[in-house]
Amino acid sequence: MGENAMQPLANVTPLKPPARAGAIEVKNVGQVFKTRSQDVVALEDVSLEVKPGRFVVLVGPSGCGKSTLLMMMAGLRQQTSGTITISGAPIPEPDPDRVGVVFQEASLFPWLTAEDNVEFPLALRGVPKAERRTKAQDALKLVGLDGFGKRHPHELSGGMKQRVSIARGLVQDPPVLLMDEPFAALDEQTRMTMGDELLRIWAATGKTVVFVTHSLTEAVYLADEVIVMSARPGRIVDHLQVQLPRPRTYEMLSGDAFGALRDRIWRHIRKSA
Amino acid sequence: MSAKMTAKISAKTLRYLIVIGLIALWELLPRTGLIPELFLPSLSSTLIAGWSDAAEYGHALAVTLYEVVVSMAFACGGGILLGAVVGSLPRPRVLIMPMVSSLYAVPLVILYPVFTVWLGIGSESKIAFASIYGFLPTMLATAAGIQTIDPQLLLAARSMGATLTQRLVRVIIPAAIPTVLSGLRVGGALVIVGVVVSEMLISSAGIGYLISRYRTILDSPHVFAGVLLVLFMAIAFNAAIRWIERKAAIWQTGTRAGQANDEIASGAMQPAT
Repeated sequence: MGENAMQPLANVTPLKPPARAGAIEVKNVGQVFKTRSQDVVALEDVSLEVKPGRFVVLVGPSGCGKSTLLMMMAGLRQQTSGTITISGAPIPEPDPDRVGVVFQEASLFPWLTAEDNVEFPLALRGVPKAERRTKAQDALKLVGLDGFGKRHPHELSGGMKQRVSIARGLVQDPPVLLMDEPFAALDEQTRMTMGDELLRIWAATGKTVVFVTHSLTEAVYLADEVIVMSARPGRIVDHLQVQLPRPRTYEMLSGDAFGALRDRIWRHIRKSA
Repeated sequence: MSAKMTAKISAKTLRYLIVIGLIALWELLPRTGLIPELFLPSLSSTLIAGWSDAAEYGHALAVTLYEVVVSMAFACGGGILLGAVVGSLPRPRVLIMPMVSSLYAVPLVILYPVFTVWLGIGSESKIAFASIYGFLPTMLATAAGIQTIDPQLLLAARSMGATLTQRLVRVIIPAAIPTVLSGLRVGGALVIVGVVVSEMLISSAGIGYLISRYRTILDSPHVFAGVLLVLFMAIAFNAAIRWIERKAAIWQTGTRAGQANDEIASGAMQPAT
């Protein structure tokens, strides 16, 4: 041991190479729900690979299992078959150090202030109050909510609530952020603004983002890659690279390249719906 | 805004005016002979009757208060505990809830004579009766409160690595508090009713007993002195509940129970996205 400690750092091979932090690998994953009358196959043989720092969007018709897949990546649900690794290791249970999760707006605790909501995951692991406060304030600043920490969720608009949720997902600085239809409850304008905000936060933090949505426009607008899934049993039917330059702008929405991508996704979804 | 303020102030003033008016009527109507003193003795003669037998009323109040406090502990403690168990476990919920709900519809006072046979005409039978009387709504409200907790909140807590105990202490309990409090309000009021009514039916002590005894000898001022004491007890209980509700105000905001307060609080500020 002593000898090892004497070695120069460059010669030590880290157990987890940093390049893998934030990588997601899904291999031959299946999910079967057992009900009283029958077994429902929700996902069948799903494989995908997400490189660190990529923005990947999952789309598909309702009930295609895209949220289920996300829950499995979060460790909130276990797959029936296949393997999922996050940063190179399986995820048998939620691990906020590796994965932050953002849900729809109802998931903020209404009895806590914005600040306390963001601090919640830190409080669970007994991080000292002062450190918690600093980290929460940094996270709120990052999502553009500096000065709103003392408000309760009911005093915040829908968009602001989702900013708090994102801050809560990022407060432990996990390399991966999973988002389950985070803007579904927002109105059209707020949704556009929040999309731009999310891209800004993503660019600033370099996280791997997996984002589930129903909106094809949102999918193409945000993503590096769009993964299209079929109706039950959920399978991956297409994997598109979105080559549009960044930063994305509102004008791109009416461009040919954008339209072509959106049409391609739509054709898949119409076929399976 | 100012119109709202004046409306609020005048509503409060109006309430006071109504109370003062009723008190004045209580004194004036019997004095002028519009209502015979046998039906409604004037406030002053009621107070004098109470004052002249202060020792007797004091003793009766002590007995009644003792019964109320002990029943309250049984009803609320047991109701919250059992409600929490029934509300969080599906099997007992299916088994017990329909029974409890239909039991709640039965006029339980018919059981009181049985209790006196079992437990005698002392405090024990009153406590038993009032405890069960107040227990049912408290339990039903607690079970409902736990059952209606948004599953998204629990999922979010789990995604942040919350253990079972942490989910109970940090999510389930705070989320259930508003409903539990409204159950306590009903349950506690029923405990007071239960104690006084059972004292009036079969007993040898307490305010209900005094009211009932003085009524049989047509001593209206003494009857009303007892009524006044019960009234004060109910007002004191209400004030206590309000105090607890204020203490828990943070929990209430943003939930259904706190929505009325919310509208007043958030009307002033409409935050942007």
